[in-house]
Amino acid sequence: MPVRVVESSSSSAPSQVSGSSPGHALPPACTLLSVGQAFAGTQNVSSSQKDEAWRVNVRIQGCDLDHGYLCGTMEALNVPLADTPVVTFWEGEVVDTKNYTFFTGKWEATSEDDIRHWSKFPSFVPFLSQVEVDGGKSLDLSNCPYIFMRWKEQYFVNVGPDCGLTIAGFYYVCFSCIDGTINGFYYDPNSSPFQKLELKSTNEGRSGFSFSSYELQ
Amino acid sequence: MPTSASSTSSNRTEVLISLLRSESKEVKLKALREVKNQIIGNRTKKLSYIKLGAVPKILEILSSSDDSESLILIQSAATIGSFACGVDVGVKAVLDSGAFPHLIRLLSHLDDKVVDAGARSLKMIYQSKLAPKYEFHKAENMAFLLSLLNSENENVTELGASIITHSCETTAEQKALCEAGALSRLLILLKGSLNQREASLDSLAAMTENNSEVIAKFVGLNSGRALNSLTELMKDRYPRTRLLASVCLIVIDHTSPNYLQDIGIKTKLIMILIELLEEPGRVGDEVPFALANLIADKEDLQQIAFEVNALDKLCSFLHQDTLLTKRLQGILLAIAELCSRLENCRARFMSMQALNLVTNALTHDCAEVRTAACICMRSVTRSVKNLSAGHYLDDMIVTPLVHLLHDQCTSVQVAALKTISNIVVDFTNRKSVFIQCGGLKDLVLLSKSMDSTLRLNSVWALRNLMFLAESSNKERIVSEITASTLTSLVCDPEPFIQEQALALVRNLVDGGISCIEHVFVEGGIIINAVGRQVRNASKSEVCIQGIYILGNISTGSESHKEAVMHQLLQEAPSVLIKFLKCSDARLRVAAIWCVVNLTYPGGPGSSVRVARLRDSGIISQIKCMVNDPCLDAKFRVRTALEQCKPVLGCLGVKLSATTEQGHF
Repeated sequence: MPVRVVESSSSSAPSQVSGSSPGHALPPACTLLSVGQAFAGTQNVSSSQKDEAWRVNVRIQGCDLDHGYLCGTMEALNVPLADTPVVTFWEGEVVDTKNYTFFTGKWEATSEDDIRHWSKFPSFVPFLSQVEVDGGKSLDLSNCPYIFMRWKEQYFVNVGPDCGLTIAGFYYVCFSCIDGTINGFYYDPNSSPFQKLELKSTNEGRSGFSFSSYELQ
Repeated sequence: MPTSASSTSSNRTEVLISLLRSESKEVKLKALREVKNQIIGNRTKKLSYIKLGAVPKILEILSSSDDSESLILIQSAATIGSFACGVDVGVKAVLDSGAFPHLIRLLSHLDDKVVDAGARSLKMIYQSKLAPKYEFHKAENMAFLLSLLNSENENVTELGASIITHSCETTAEQKALCEAGALSRLLILLKGSLNQREASLDSLAAMTENNSEVIAKFVGLNSGRALNSLTELMKDRYPRTRLLASVCLIVIDHTSPNYLQDIGIKTKLIMILIELLEEPGRVGDEVPFALANLIADKEDLQQIAFEVNALDKLCSFLHQDTLLTKRLQGILLAIAELCSRLENCRARFMSMQALNLVTNALTHDCAEVRTAACICMRSVTRSVKNLSAGHYLDDMIVTPLVHLLHDQCTSVQVAALKTISNIVVDFTNRKSVFIQCGGLKDLVLLSKSMDSTLRLNSVWALRNLMFLAESSNKERIVSEITASTLTSLVCDPEPFIQEQALALVRNLVDGGISCIEHVFVEGGIIINAVGRQVRNASKSEVCIQGIYILGNISTGSESHKEAVMHQLLQEAPSVLIKFLKCSDARLRVAAIWCVVNLTYPGGPGSSVRVARLRDSGIISQIKCMVNDPCLDAKFRVRTALEQCKPVLGCLGVKLSATTEQGHF
């Protein structure tokens, strides 16, 4: 895949908000984004040379909204040159303006990269002007029907790190509380830009929606 | 003929005891001195003298000597004190001999040295838990205690402080001491000798613990400078003083955090405690407990402690083979607190390969250490990242933990169960590792325990084991528990156990039709019990789990959905209406999901169900919720109404065309 040339830019403010100011209204909790929930769809990995999409399954494994934390696994099904589906573990930062803002501040993403990616989501447009000012730190997202997140793959679950695949980048993600759909854009300065991730909440062949739960002690 | 050293020594012991009965005062005095010198710091000697009845003989000397015999009084009191020093058997022997009132009598002796000896001995006794509780509520006792604290004699004031440390336990006692003026006296003693300072710090901690009223009084003393005295002592040159001053500040911070808002003081406290970890003896043994106490439930302080390398330092002690029991226990508990909330601490802990060392402590001889090791592992295993990587479901960890489920000590069993609850969440399809090593059988056994804490935690572990388990493992779990035990647990007298048992059933029926079938065995005893709880329970958390079970069952076949309808509509008004109107948004959301699944399009009976839900008033209640303040509820309401809309339009035709078929 062609490597995207990274534009030089001043470093953006760190995304982690230090301390928690009282009165912050967090994004709404959504049962479709709770532990055990599964999503299925595709990631478009097309480039100028080829047109390609991998089937992708995601399952939420951990959710701690107080800390703006979400995690789970992502399974890529028809990865070329891989014998089995490739499963990775990812951790998510929920843009809640308490723990994290829209500015990434790491993973080689400048605030310009952030805004360029977030702006791909129509639901982000109303927040654009404020995000340009302060990363969205002062926004109230408690009534927003969308949850914005960054998902960063941390390790390969079922293959070794030398499998020839990379998890260097991360996803800008927008989850719809309305119908459980997930849209995302993969960002890695060394990969094709704007690889689109499209997932739908899946009931795994059941006649309705089913929910498990666990509780750590 | 040559004799062995031990027989010479044992002969001498007997000789000395006989000399204690001598008529000659000089001989008695000499014998007392020799006994005292022999037993100081020698536990074995103390025990052998106690066995030979030395304590009552010495008391006889003390009680029969008149006030003029100062030397005898001093030596006998000092010897009694030595017996009581650091050995509980000695304290018991001294108390059983009736020495207490005689030692108290010495405190009013004219000779200061006699008073000293009496006070020292009593102090030794009050350092033991076996000492009698001092009754502060008696006016004469309080006056006597104050007289001790006000004494010019250093040992007597220390005795007064020791009595407070030993016996001040309740809020009423703290308040009574405060009103009697003990606080201001203790504050003065902070400026006294090293011993007075340390005894006073101990007492201040006892008097202020969990008592905001006493803390407010203390902080107001010396025109508001009392707290400064403590923060100054935090930097004292003596390690024990630094520790005790820190403990006092921790006690104050826990109850009245407003007085110690400056994060700088807390950072300083953490630094001091970490530095004190290196101290030998009692100070080093007690420091990890103080550190654990300071950072407990305080994420900001845990982060600070992590940043100043507390975790690395604590883990470095785990590598020492010679670590004493108490220190090991404290270190494990301090690591547990550090890793209780912060993922970066857990990651660091794992990277230091410390998990094996904690696993080793699971088989320690001392129950407190085994419990602490479980608590430590519980904190570390809260990492979903590591659970997802399958780092914990390993024979090396699981086997000793499962073994602890048979521990004689209930607190160890409970601690092991809590750790197991975390470990079995595992996302890597390795739950069978736990099942195969006998863990499932043991959990099921403990779920039938008479002890409700064991029952709760074993059901909790089973619930997490069931979470996203493969069908074959679900099968094994449910056949091990049996339908009748599961039903009893759902109906347990304890609501917390009901909640966990229902959550277990909820996880069981999340997995397709074959999994759902499990709740219909034996005439449907499980689903009937679930239905009863949903209709009758008063605790929201119980109802939430129950309604999710019904929601999950509603993702199954037509007959499964019908069974749920039967449970929900058998009373009018339907329990669903109560939940949909409930102020708890979690319950409203769960109830709406149930409706979404019951009205899920495509099934032959869905239109009939929509009609019945409408006739029960459920659809009109849902219509009132289109602007529910909870966004999750609002969007689920929309889904439910969208599903019902086409059916409600042509209801009459569909109603007559469908035949109901269900389990009931």
